[in-house]
Amino acid sequence: MQLNPSEISDLIKKKIENFDLSAEAHTEGTVVSVTDGIVRVHGLSEAMQGEMLEFPGNTFGMALNLERDSVGVVVLGSYQHITEGDVVKCTGKILEVPVGEALLGRVVDALGNPIDGKGAINTTETAPIEKIAPGVIARQSVDQPVQIGLKSIDAMIPIGRGQRELIIGDRQTGKTAIAIDAIINQKNTGIKCIYVAIGQKRSSVANVVRKLEEHGAMAHTIVVVASASESAAMQFIAPYTGCSMGEFFRDRGEDALIIYDDLTKQAWAYRQVSLLLRRPPGREAYPGDVFYLHSRLLERASRINAAEVEKLTDGRVKGKTGSLTALPIIETQGGDVSAFVPTNVISITDGQIFLESNLFNSGIRPAVNAGLSVSRVGGAAQTKIIKKLGGGTRLDLAQYRELAAFAQFASDLDESTRKQIERGQRVTELMKQNQYSPMSVAQMAVSLFAANEGFLDSVEVNKVLDFEAALQLYMKSEHAELMNNINATGDFSNEISSGLRAAIETFVKTHSW
Amino acid sequence: MSELATLARPYAAAVFKRAKETHSTTMWSKSLAFMSAVLKNEDISVVVDNPKVNKERLSALMLDICQGHVNDENENFLNLLVHNNRLSLVPSIARLFEAYKAEDEGYVEVEVLTAYALSKEAKQTLAATLEKNLGKKIHMNVTVDKSLIGGVLVRAGDRVIDGSIRGRLQQLAKRL
Repeated sequence: MQLNPSEISDLIKKKIENFDLSAEAHTEGTVVSVTDGIVRVHGLSEAMQGEMLEFPGNTFGMALNLERDSVGVVVLGSYQHITEGDVVKCTGKILEVPVGEALLGRVVDALGNPIDGKGAINTTETAPIEKIAPGVIARQSVDQPVQIGLKSIDAMIPIGRGQRELIIGDRQTGKTAIAIDAIINQKNTGIKCIYVAIGQKRSSVANVVRKLEEHGAMAHTIVVVASASESAAMQFIAPYTGCSMGEFFRDRGEDALIIYDDLTKQAWAYRQVSLLLRRPPGREAYPGDVFYLHSRLLERASRINAAEVEKLTDGRVKGKTGSLTALPIIETQGGDVSAFVPTNVISITDGQIFLESNLFNSGIRPAVNAGLSVSRVGGAAQTKIIKKLGGGTRLDLAQYRELAAFAQFASDLDESTRKQIERGQRVTELMKQNQYSPMSVAQMAVSLFAANEGFLDSVEVNKVLDFEAALQLYMKSEHAELMNNINATGDFSNEISSGLRAAIETFVKTHSW
Repeated sequence: MSELATLARPYAAAVFKRAKETHSTTMWSKSLAFMSAVLKNEDISVVVDNPKVNKERLSALMLDICQGHVNDENENFLNLLVHNNRLSLVPSIARLFEAYKAEDEGYVEVEVLTAYALSKEAKQTLAATLEKNLGKKIHMNVTVDKSLIGGVLVRAGDRVIDGSIRGRLQQLAKRL
């Protein structure tokens, strides 16, 4: 946009005209010490916990420790220009960030400022970053699915709208990959996504954003970034910022999905801030309220009923429920899930997707450990057809795991055991899926049906994926109507069952894989 | 500064209690003000901070300087501070003592900065408005500060009411 000088002076004139000339009353204090982003301020007797405080040079801080004679403040952003004796003013506001539709497709920092070079964001509303989660009366049980688009997850560990499902695993096990696939699969579903990157390399974040753009998934996504180079305070508040942005959609009767990647780093950032504030360290040097740090965040992911949505929108939206689904990510060290933060988050969430590095390295990707992964509420939300067909998959894999150790004595085993092992090997193979290629409900149903009905038993183990790919292609070209029908209804009727059987039988006869 | 206040609080509380008992708050207030003025003197603070000066010499020196401005109880208080190595707290103690005194007598110390000297009537109106606004009696201390350009700036404890031209210009600069 080109502006000529007269326009600029008009703009300034208008601003001056509208300038409110009342005397400004506030409480103020003086900086006593500045240490590693923590500022101690004398005075500020009326400061609130979590209040936004104004430093000189348009810098803001958040009051975290309210003591008898001083206030401990974390500076949000750079603190190099703050010196002893500087005046600090109260703003009377809890820290707020912009929220709204305008943020979709944008990359912002933990305070909601754009960092993608696409100019200012035209938001009209702001929301405090810390809010109390909806109460019991406002809630509704989870009964609609969020399709992740991965066979192994949608079939065995279903996720419902408003659920909190933890993705946990060592480094390099594909945690982020699952999250990105989940975002890509929400294209055209109306679910808005928020990806919160905490303490990550800027290059990884840029990669994620590029991948989302390539797959056309940025249009329904907000990316909140507090990279490794930003201050610990920013990394600490980033998840709350993202959550407030997601709650905006939830409270308007829409559905949103938020991914916290990852909460381990947020806990580290909070530990740093707490130790610098001289709060007493506890287990693993985390402060005493590290459980509350995550529980209050994840509690805000919820499904709220139509009455609550109506109340929150002043009656503008009627008869629609809202939801915010959370997929927090936790990185474990050497597969140790009994460390402090992993156990906390496991106990807060409604289930976990457990990823294992030895599965990942043996080529099973996504590396989901079907035995340790659970979804406590997702079953009620699962699409009927997947629920019916996926149950068998879980069972097949469970039986296979028990017998897998005997697999090498295949020749000495009895017929039924051998069959179970063979089925298990094929199902394990079938659960493999490439990154960035989410499947629709119908596609999953076809694959699962083929496994359940034993069509895979005659296929060699290393040919299973080829078989699947060819089958999907065949179904797409020859039975598009049946597929559309499944996608539309999600039901599993006799008609659909016989349709699938007939189609796969014809396909098997062609031997075209 | 905040740590000093924490350390000074018990001393100030004790002094204030004693002063109340003996009905000598004004006298204590004066002598504390004098002592802190003495300690703010650079030559004195060098001596106080010097570890080579022993406690006896330091109390003798302090008592010598303060002679005529302090009574027996004040002297005991000075000796106690020297004994505890807390002589440098006196300014903080004095400040807290004034705060206790103000709270007890139900007034607030208000510092008013104006760009131009105020007339007597203007002062009275300002005082009346502030008393209404703060809900307490006030002790006003008016100083002239040309850098405000115009208007007044009122400071009551941590609360600041900025009605100066300088403050408004700063606000405007931020808004643009």
